[in-house]
Amino acid sequence: MSPIAGSSAESPTEFDEQLLNLLSRCAAADASALQRLYELVSPILFACLARILRRRALAEEALQDVFVSIWQRAGQFSATRGRPMAWMMSIARYRAIDLLRHERHVPALVPDLPERLAAQPEAASEGESPAWLPPSGLLEHCLALLTERQKHCLELAFVGGNSHEDISRLTGSPLGTVKSWIRRGLQSLRQCLEADRAVK
Amino acid sequence: MKQDNPELVDRLAAEYVLGTLRGPARRRFERWRTNTPHVDQRCRYWEEHLMHVAKGLNPVQPPAYVWPAIRKRLNLTADRSPRRWARSWALAASLVLVAGLAGLLYWRSLPSVRPTATSTIAAKSGGEIWQVEVFGTTNRLVVHAAKLPAHPAGRDYELWALPKNGNPVSLGVLPTEGTSTRALTAIQKAALASSSQVAVSIEPPGGSPTGQPTGDIVFVAPLRASG
Repeated sequence: MSPIAGSSAESPTEFDEQLLNLLSRCAAADASALQRLYELVSPILFACLARILRRRALAEEALQDVFVSIWQRAGQFSATRGRPMAWMMSIARYRAIDLLRHERHVPALVPDLPERLAAQPEAASEGESPAWLPPSGLLEHCLALLTERQKHCLELAFVGGNSHEDISRLTGSPLGTVKSWIRRGLQSLRQCLEADRAVK
Repeated sequence: MKQDNPELVDRLAAEYVLGTLRGPARRRFERWRTNTPHVDQRCRYWEEHLMHVAKGLNPVQPPAYVWPAIRKRLNLTADRSPRRWARSWALAASLVLVAGLAGLLYWRSLPSVRPTATSTIAAKSGGEIWQVEVFGTTNRLVVHAAKLPAHPAGRDYELWALPKNGNPVSLGVLPTEGTSTRALTAIQKAALASSSQVAVSIEPPGGSPTGQPTGDIVFVAPLRASG
Protein backbone atom coordinates (compact mmCIF):
# COMPACT_ATOMS: atom_id res chain seq x y z
CA MET A 1 0.00 0.00 0.00
CA SER A 2 1.34 3.40 -0.86
CA PRO A 3 1.96 5.64 2.14
CA ILE A 4 -0.60 8.09 0.79
CA ALA A 5 -3.38 5.64 0.04
CA GLY A 6 -4.49 5.48 3.67
CA SER A 7 -4.97 9.20 4.08
CA SER A 8 -7.98 9.59 1.84
CA ALA A 9 -9.43 13.06 2.04
CA GLU A 10 -12.85 11.52 2.57
CA SER A 11 -12.60 9.70 5.88
CA PRO A 12 -13.80 11.97 8.69
CA THR A 13 -11.40 12.46 11.59
CA GLU A 14 -12.38 12.64 15.24
CA PHE A 15 -12.10 16.42 14.99
CA ASP A 16 -14.47 16.41 11.99
CA GLU A 17 -16.97 14.38 14.00
CA GLN A 18 -16.71 16.81 16.87
CA LEU A 19 -17.30 19.78 14.56
CA LEU A 20 -20.20 18.02 12.84
CA ASN A 21 -21.81 17.32 16.16
CA LEU A 22 -21.43 20.96 17.20
CA LEU A 23 -22.83 22.19 13.87
CA SER A 24 -25.89 20.00 14.16
CA ARG A 25 -26.44 21.33 17.68
CA CYS A 26 -26.12 24.87 16.33
CA ALA A 27 -28.77 23.97 13.76
CA ALA A 28 -31.00 23.05 16.69
CA ALA A 29 -30.33 26.51 18.20
CA ASP A 30 -28.01 25.29 20.97
CA ALA A 31 -25.99 28.38 21.83
CA SER A 32 -23.45 26.50 23.95
CA ALA A 33 -22.50 24.50 20.84
CA LEU A 34 -21.70 27.72 19.00
CA GLN A 35 -19.56 28.85 21.90
CA ARG A 36 -17.63 25.58 21.89
CA LEU A 37 -17.24 25.82 18.12
CA TYR A 38 -15.97 29.36 18.54
CA GLU A 39 -13.39 28.22 21.08
CA LEU A 40 -12.19 25.50 18.73
CA VAL A 41 -12.02 27.24 15.38
CA SER A 42 -12.04 31.01 15.89
CA PRO A 43 -8.21 31.23 16.21
CA ILE A 44 -7.57 29.65 12.81
CA LEU A 45 -10.43 31.51 11.12
CA PHE A 46 -9.22 34.76 12.66
CA ALA A 47 -5.71 34.06 11.37
CA CYS A 48 -7.14 33.51 7.86
CA LEU A 49 -9.13 36.73 8.00
CA ALA A 50 -6.30 38.83 9.43
CA ARG A 51 -3.91 37.56 6.79
CA ILE A 52 -6.25 38.45 3.94
CA LEU A 53 -7.65 41.70 5.34
CA ARG A 54 -4.38 42.93 6.88
CA ARG A 55 -6.23 45.15 9.31
CA ARG A 56 -7.07 43.77 12.72
CA ALA A 57 -10.20 45.81 13.25
CA LEU A 58 -11.59 44.69 9.93
CA ALA A 59 -10.70 41.06 10.66
CA GLU A 60 -12.43 41.25 14.06
CA GLU A 61 -15.55 42.58 12.39
CA ALA A 62 -15.37 39.89 9.73
CA LEU A 63 -14.97 37.16 12.36
CA GLN A 64 -18.30 38.22 13.84
CA ASP A 65 -19.93 38.04 10.40
CA VAL A 66 -18.47 34.57 9.88
CA PHE A 67 -19.87 33.15 13.12
CA VAL A 68 -23.25 34.76 12.48
CA SER A 69 -23.23 32.98 9.09
CA ILE A 70 -22.13 29.68 10.61
CA TRP A 71 -24.98 29.86 13.14
CA GLN A 72 -27.55 30.75 10.50
CA ARG A 73 -26.38 28.23 7.94
CA ALA A 74 -25.49 25.35 10.26
CA GLY A 75 -28.78 23.65 9.37
CA GLN A 76 -27.79 23.57 5.72
CA PHE A 77 -24.50 21.85 6.40
CA SER A 78 -24.50 18.09 6.46
CA ALA A 79 -21.75 15.52 6.44
CA THR A 80 -22.40 14.96 2.74
CA ARG A 81 -21.14 18.48 2.20
CA GLY A 82 -17.66 17.38 3.13
CA ARG A 83 -15.33 18.51 5.86
CA PRO A 84 -16.79 21.03 8.29
CA MET A 85 -13.44 22.82 8.62
CA ALA A 86 -13.24 23.35 4.84
CA TRP A 87 -16.79 24.69 4.89
CA MET A 88 -16.10 27.14 7.72
CA MET A 89 -12.77 28.23 6.31
CA SER A 90 -14.44 28.91 2.97
CA ILE A 91 -17.10 31.05 4.64
CA ALA A 92 -14.30 33.06 6.25
CA ARG A 93 -12.11 33.37 3.17
CA TYR A 94 -14.95 34.33 0.83
CA ARG A 95 -16.18 36.90 3.33
CA ALA A 96 -12.68 38.40 3.49
CA ILE A 97 -12.35 38.45 -0.30
CA ASP A 98 -15.75 40.16 -0.54
CA LEU A 99 -14.63 42.75 1.98
CA LEU A 100 -11.45 43.40 -0.01
CA ARG A 101 -13.70 44.37 -2.88
CA HIS A 102 -15.30 47.09 -0.77
CA GLU A 103 -12.08 48.13 0.93
CA ARG A 104 -10.06 49.39 -1.95
CA HIS A 105 -8.55 52.00 0.34
CA VAL A 106 -6.84 49.34 2.44
CA PRO A 107 -3.22 50.44 2.59
CA ALA A 108 -1.81 48.83 -0.49
CA LEU A 109 0.00 45.57 -0.26
CA VAL A 110 2.13 45.22 2.77
CA PRO A 111 4.95 43.09 1.42
CA ASP A 112 5.07 40.95 4.55
CA LEU A 113 3.78 37.85 2.93
CA PRO A 114 6.51 36.22 0.92
CA GLU A 115 7.75 34.20 3.85
CA ARG A 116 7.29 30.49 3.33
CA LEU A 117 3.99 29.46 4.72
CA ALA A 118 3.81 25.81 3.86
CA ALA A 119 5.85 23.32 5.75
CA GLN A 120 8.73 21.88 3.82
CA PRO A 121 7.68 18.73 2.03
CA GLU A 122 10.01 16.53 4.03
CA ALA A 123 8.49 17.80 7.27
CA ALA A 124 5.01 17.07 6.04
CA SER A 125 4.26 13.88 7.87
CA GLU A 126 0.75 13.17 9.07
CA GLY A 127 1.60 13.68 12.71
CA GLU A 128 2.63 17.26 12.15
CA SER A 129 -0.64 18.52 10.76
CA PRO A 130 -1.99 21.26 12.99
CA ALA A 131 -5.02 20.26 15.05
CA TRP A 132 -7.50 22.07 12.82
CA LEU A 133 -6.29 20.42 9.61
CA PRO A 134 -7.15 16.83 8.77
CA PRO A 135 -3.97 14.98 7.82
CA SER A 136 -3.60 14.50 4.10
CA GLY A 137 -0.46 12.79 2.96
CA LEU A 138 -1.89 12.84 -0.56
CA LEU A 139 -2.18 16.61 -0.70
CA GLU A 140 1.27 17.05 0.79
CA HIS A 141 2.61 14.67 -1.79
CA CYS A 142 0.88 16.49 -4.66
CA LEU A 143 1.93 19.94 -3.42
CA ALA A 144 5.51 18.74 -3.24
CA LEU A 145 5.38 17.99 -6.96
CA LEU A 146 4.75 21.64 -7.85
CA THR A 147 7.56 24.01 -8.68
CA GLU A 148 8.57 26.42 -5.91
CA ARG A 149 7.10 29.30 -7.90
CA GLN A 150 3.78 27.57 -8.45
CA LYS A 151 3.54 26.72 -4.78
CA HIS A 152 4.50 30.22 -3.74
CA CYS A 153 1.81 31.75 -5.99
CA LEU A 154 -0.85 29.39 -4.62
CA GLU A 155 0.10 30.41 -1.08
CA LEU A 156 0.06 34.11 -1.88
CA ALA A 157 -3.42 33.69 -3.38
CA PHE A 158 -5.01 31.24 -0.96
CA VAL A 159 -3.49 32.39 2.30
CA GLY A 160 -2.78 36.04 1.53
CA GLY A 161 -5.93 36.71 -0.51
CA ASN A 162 -3.83 38.28 -3.26
CA SER A 163 -5.19 38.75 -6.78
CA HIS A 164 -3.23 37.91 -9.92
CA GLU A 165 -2.21 41.57 -10.13
CA ASP A 166 -1.08 41.66 -6.47
CA ILE A 167 1.03 38.55 -6.97
CA SER A 168 2.56 39.98 -10.11
CA ARG A 169 3.60 43.06 -8.11
CA LEU A 170 4.79 41.09 -5.09
CA THR A 171 6.92 38.70 -7.09
CA GLY A 172 8.00 41.20 -9.73
CA SER A 173 6.84 38.81 -12.45
CA PRO A 174 4.69 39.68 -15.47
CA LEU A 175 0.95 39.22 -15.00
CA GLY A 176 0.67 36.63 -17.78
CA THR A 177 3.43 34.57 -16.24
CA VAL A 178 1.78 34.62 -12.81
CA LYS A 179 -1.53 33.56 -14.32
CA SER A 180 0.07 30.63 -16.06
CA TRP A 181 2.05 29.54 -12.96
CA ILE A 182 -1.21 29.43 -11.06
CA ARG A 183 -3.16 27.73 -13.81
CA ARG A 184 -0.49 25.08 -14.28
CA GLY A 185 -0.06 24.64 -10.55
CA LEU A 186 -3.76 23.92 -10.14
CA GLN A 187 -3.73 21.65 -13.17
CA SER A 188 -0.85 19.60 -11.80
CA LEU A 189 -2.54 19.35 -8.42
CA ARG A 190 -5.68 18.03 -10.00
CA GLN A 191 -3.84 15.55 -12.18
CA CYS A 192 -1.93 14.27 -9.17
CA LEU A 193 -5.10 13.98 -7.04
CA GLU A 194 -7.03 12.25 -9.83
CA ALA A 195 -4.18 9.88 -10.59
CA ASP A 196 -4.27 8.72 -7.00
CA ARG A 197 -8.01 8.19 -7.18
CA ALA A 198 -7.69 6.23 -10.41
CA VAL A 199 -5.16 3.91 -8.76
CA LYS A 200 -7.48 3.12 -5.86
CA MET B 1 -22.97 31.22 -17.89
CA LYS B 2 -23.87 28.14 -19.82
CA GLN B 3 -20.50 26.51 -20.38
CA ASP B 4 -20.71 22.93 -19.27
CA ASN B 5 -17.25 21.92 -20.33
CA PRO B 6 -16.01 19.94 -17.29
CA GLU B 7 -12.43 21.18 -17.73
CA LEU B 8 -13.59 24.77 -17.70
CA VAL B 9 -15.90 24.22 -14.73
CA ASP B 10 -13.00 22.71 -12.83
CA ARG B 11 -10.60 25.50 -13.74
CA LEU B 12 -13.06 28.21 -12.71
CA ALA B 13 -13.94 26.37 -9.50
CA ALA B 14 -10.26 26.09 -8.59
CA GLU B 15 -9.59 29.78 -9.23
CA TYR B 16 -12.76 30.73 -7.38
CA VAL B 17 -11.72 28.74 -4.30
CA LEU B 18 -8.14 29.97 -4.57
CA GLY B 19 -9.50 33.52 -4.62
CA THR B 20 -7.95 34.67 -7.89
CA LEU B 21 -11.30 34.77 -9.70
CA ARG B 22 -12.34 38.33 -8.93
CA GLY B 23 -14.77 41.08 -9.79
CA PRO B 24 -17.92 40.45 -11.82
CA ALA B 25 -16.60 37.04 -12.91
CA ARG B 26 -16.45 35.96 -9.24
CA ARG B 27 -20.01 37.12 -8.61
CA ARG B 28 -21.28 35.40 -11.77
CA PHE B 29 -19.52 32.22 -10.74
CA GLU B 30 -21.03 32.40 -7.25
CA ARG B 31 -24.50 32.57 -8.78
CA TRP B 32 -23.70 29.68 -11.06
CA ARG B 33 -22.47 27.61 -8.11
CA THR B 34 -25.63 28.31 -6.12
CA ASN B 35 -27.82 27.06 -8.94
CA THR B 36 -25.74 24.19 -10.26
CA PRO B 37 -24.98 21.08 -8.18
CA HIS B 38 -22.04 19.87 -10.28
CA VAL B 39 -20.36 23.28 -10.06
CA ASP B 40 -20.93 23.28 -6.29
CA GLN B 41 -19.42 19.79 -6.14
CA ARG B 42 -16.21 20.95 -7.89
CA CYS B 43 -15.95 23.90 -5.51
CA ARG B 44 -16.23 21.65 -2.48
CA TYR B 45 -13.57 19.40 -3.96
CA TRP B 46 -11.16 22.32 -4.19
CA GLU B 47 -12.17 23.76 -0.82
CA GLU B 48 -11.23 20.50 0.87
CA HIS B 49 -7.96 20.12 -0.95
CA LEU B 50 -6.67 23.68 -1.08
CA MET B 51 -7.31 24.04 2.65
CA HIS B 52 -3.97 22.26 3.03
CA VAL B 53 -2.15 25.16 1.38
CA ALA B 54 -2.82 27.07 4.62
CA LYS B 55 -1.11 24.41 6.71
CA GLY B 56 1.61 26.79 7.90
CA LEU B 57 -0.86 29.44 9.07
CA ASN B 58 -0.55 29.98 12.81
CA PRO B 59 -3.80 30.36 14.75
CA VAL B 60 -4.27 33.79 16.34
CA GLN B 61 -6.49 34.24 19.39
CA PRO B 62 -9.11 36.89 18.61
CA PRO B 63 -9.63 39.62 21.24
CA ALA B 64 -11.99 38.79 24.10
CA TYR B 65 -14.72 41.21 23.07
CA VAL B 66 -15.52 39.37 19.83
CA TRP B 67 -17.45 36.43 21.30
CA PRO B 68 -19.82 38.57 23.41
CA ALA B 69 -20.36 40.74 20.32
CA ILE B 70 -21.37 37.67 18.29
CA ARG B 71 -23.66 36.53 21.10
CA LYS B 72 -25.28 39.92 21.15
CA ARG B 73 -25.79 40.00 17.39
CA LEU B 74 -27.50 36.61 17.55
CA ASN B 75 -29.49 37.31 20.72
CA LEU B 76 -27.97 34.28 22.42
CA THR B 77 -28.17 33.96 26.16
CA ALA B 78 -26.38 30.76 27.23
CA ASP B 79 -22.83 31.40 28.36
CA ARG B 80 -20.17 29.82 30.49
CA SER B 81 -16.65 30.76 31.28
CA PRO B 82 -14.35 28.93 28.86
CA ARG B 83 -12.31 27.39 31.69
CA ARG B 84 -15.27 25.87 33.45
CA TRP B 85 -16.64 24.77 30.14
CA ALA B 86 -13.45 22.93 29.27
CA ARG B 87 -13.41 21.13 32.58
CA SER B 88 -17.01 20.04 32.45
CA TRP B 89 -17.05 19.28 28.75
CA ALA B 90 -17.09 15.48 29.00
CA LEU B 91 -19.69 15.50 31.73
CA ALA B 92 -21.79 18.04 29.88
CA ALA B 93 -21.57 16.05 26.66
CA SER B 94 -22.87 12.91 28.30
CA LEU B 95 -25.58 14.84 30.12
CA VAL B 96 -26.63 16.45 26.87
CA LEU B 97 -26.83 13.04 25.26
CA VAL B 98 -28.90 11.56 28.08
CA ALA B 99 -31.10 14.63 28.30
CA GLY B 100 -31.46 14.65 24.54
CA LEU B 101 -32.60 11.04 24.43
CA ALA B 102 -34.95 11.57 27.36
CA GLY B 103 -36.24 14.71 25.71
CA LEU B 104 -36.80 12.92 22.45
CA LEU B 105 -38.74 10.12 24.14
CA TYR B 106 -40.74 12.66 26.13
CA TRP B 107 -41.41 14.69 23.00
CA ARG B 108 -42.60 11.65 21.09
CA SER B 109 -44.86 10.56 23.93
CA LEU B 110 -46.53 13.96 24.02
CA PRO B 111 -49.24 14.29 21.41
CA SER B 112 -49.98 17.77 22.73
CA VAL B 113 -46.67 19.28 21.52
CA ARG B 114 -48.07 20.74 18.36
CA PRO B 115 -47.23 23.96 16.60
CA THR B 116 -49.13 26.93 17.96
CA ALA B 117 -49.19 28.53 14.52
CA THR B 118 -48.34 27.39 11.01
CA SER B 119 -47.92 28.88 7.61
CA THR B 120 -47.59 27.24 4.23
CA ILE B 121 -45.58 29.28 1.77
CA ALA B 122 -46.55 28.13 -1.69
CA ALA B 123 -45.84 29.07 -5.28
CA LYS B 124 -48.60 30.63 -7.40
CA SER B 125 -48.93 27.26 -9.09
CA GLY B 126 -49.86 25.81 -5.68
CA GLY B 127 -46.66 23.85 -5.03
CA GLU B 128 -45.54 24.01 -1.39
CA ILE B 129 -42.17 25.72 -0.91
CA TRP B 130 -41.80 26.00 2.86
CA GLN B 131 -43.84 24.83 5.80
CA VAL B 132 -43.35 27.12 8.79
CA GLU B 133 -44.24 25.90 12.28
CA VAL B 134 -44.19 28.08 15.38
CA PHE B 135 -43.91 26.25 18.71
CA GLY B 136 -44.93 29.04 21.06
CA THR B 137 -44.69 26.89 24.20
CA THR B 138 -41.08 25.84 23.54
CA ASN B 139 -39.99 29.02 21.71
CA ARG B 140 -38.97 27.19 18.58
CA LEU B 141 -39.40 27.99 14.92
CA VAL B 142 -39.21 25.00 12.59
CA VAL B 143 -39.09 25.41 8.82
CA HIS B 144 -39.29 22.51 6.37
CA ALA B 145 -38.06 23.28 2.87
CA ALA B 146 -40.04 21.49 0.15
CA LYS B 147 -39.57 22.27 -3.50
CA LEU B 148 -37.77 25.58 -3.94
CA PRO B 149 -38.12 27.67 -7.07
CA ALA B 150 -34.92 28.62 -8.91
CA HIS B 151 -32.73 30.01 -6.17
CA PRO B 152 -32.10 33.75 -6.44
CA ALA B 153 -28.64 34.51 -7.75
CA GLY B 154 -26.13 34.21 -4.88
CA ARG B 155 -28.78 35.36 -2.42
CA ASP B 156 -30.68 33.99 0.53
CA TYR B 157 -34.39 33.90 1.25
CA GLU B 158 -35.28 35.57 4.54
CA LEU B 159 -38.48 35.05 6.52
CA TRP B 160 -40.29 37.95 8.19
CA ALA B 161 -43.11 38.25 10.69
CA LEU B 162 -45.50 41.06 9.76
CA PRO B 163 -46.88 42.39 13.06
CA LYS B 164 -50.08 44.41 12.80
CA ASN B 165 -48.45 47.47 14.28
CA GLY B 166 -44.84 48.02 13.40
CA ASN B 167 -42.08 46.98 11.05
CA PRO B 168 -41.37 43.47 9.81
CA VAL B 169 -39.29 41.38 12.23
CA SER B 170 -36.73 38.98 10.81
CA LEU B 171 -37.22 35.28 11.55
CA GLY B 172 -33.92 34.38 9.91
CA VAL B 173 -32.66 33.00 6.64
CA LEU B 174 -34.78 30.19 5.20
CA PRO B 175 -33.26 26.77 4.54
CA THR B 176 -32.92 25.74 0.90
CA GLU B 177 -33.23 22.08 1.82
CA GLY B 178 -34.14 19.94 4.80
CA THR B 179 -35.47 21.28 8.07
CA SER B 180 -34.13 24.11 10.19
CA THR B 181 -34.98 24.63 13.83
CA ARG B 182 -34.14 27.76 15.72
CA ALA B 183 -34.93 29.43 18.99
CA LEU B 184 -37.29 32.37 18.97
CA THR B 185 -36.24 35.55 20.74
CA ALA B 186 -38.75 37.46 22.84
CA ILE B 187 -39.01 40.07 20.08
CA GLN B 188 -39.68 37.46 17.41
CA LYS B 189 -42.25 35.72 19.60
CA ALA B 190 -44.09 38.97 20.30
CA ALA B 191 -44.03 39.87 16.60
CA LEU B 192 -45.43 36.47 15.64
CA ALA B 193 -48.15 36.74 18.25
CA SER B 194 -49.49 39.86 16.54
CA SER B 195 -48.93 38.70 12.96
CA SER B 196 -51.48 37.16 10.69
CA GLN B 197 -49.04 36.94 7.81
CA VAL B 198 -45.41 36.11 7.15
CA ALA B 199 -43.34 37.30 4.19
CA VAL B 200 -40.24 36.15 2.34
CA SER B 201 -37.73 38.54 0.83
CA ILE B 202 -34.58 38.08 -1.21
CA GLU B 203 -31.50 39.24 0.68
CA PRO B 204 -27.70 39.20 0.50
CA PRO B 205 -26.11 35.95 1.76
CA GLY B 206 -26.67 35.59 5.51
CA GLY B 207 -29.71 37.86 5.52
CA SER B 208 -30.57 41.54 5.43
CA PRO B 209 -27.72 43.68 6.75
CA THR B 210 -30.14 46.35 7.95
CA GLY B 211 -32.65 44.32 9.97
CA GLN B 212 -35.40 45.26 7.51
CA PRO B 213 -36.19 43.69 4.14
CA THR B 214 -33.88 45.19 1.52
CA GLY B 215 -34.77 43.03 -1.49
CA ASP B 216 -38.01 42.10 -3.24
CA ILE B 217 -40.76 40.54 -1.15
CA VAL B 218 -41.43 37.40 -3.13
CA PHE B 219 -44.00 35.63 -0.99
CA VAL B 220 -46.61 36.61 1.57
CA ALA B 221 -48.54 33.84 3.27
CA PRO B 222 -51.17 33.71 6.03
CA LEU B 223 -50.04 32.60 9.51
CA ARG B 224 -52.71 30.49 11.14
CA ALA B 225 -53.05 29.74 14.82
CA SER B 226 -53.38 26.01 15.46
CA GLY B 227 -53.02 23.39 18.17
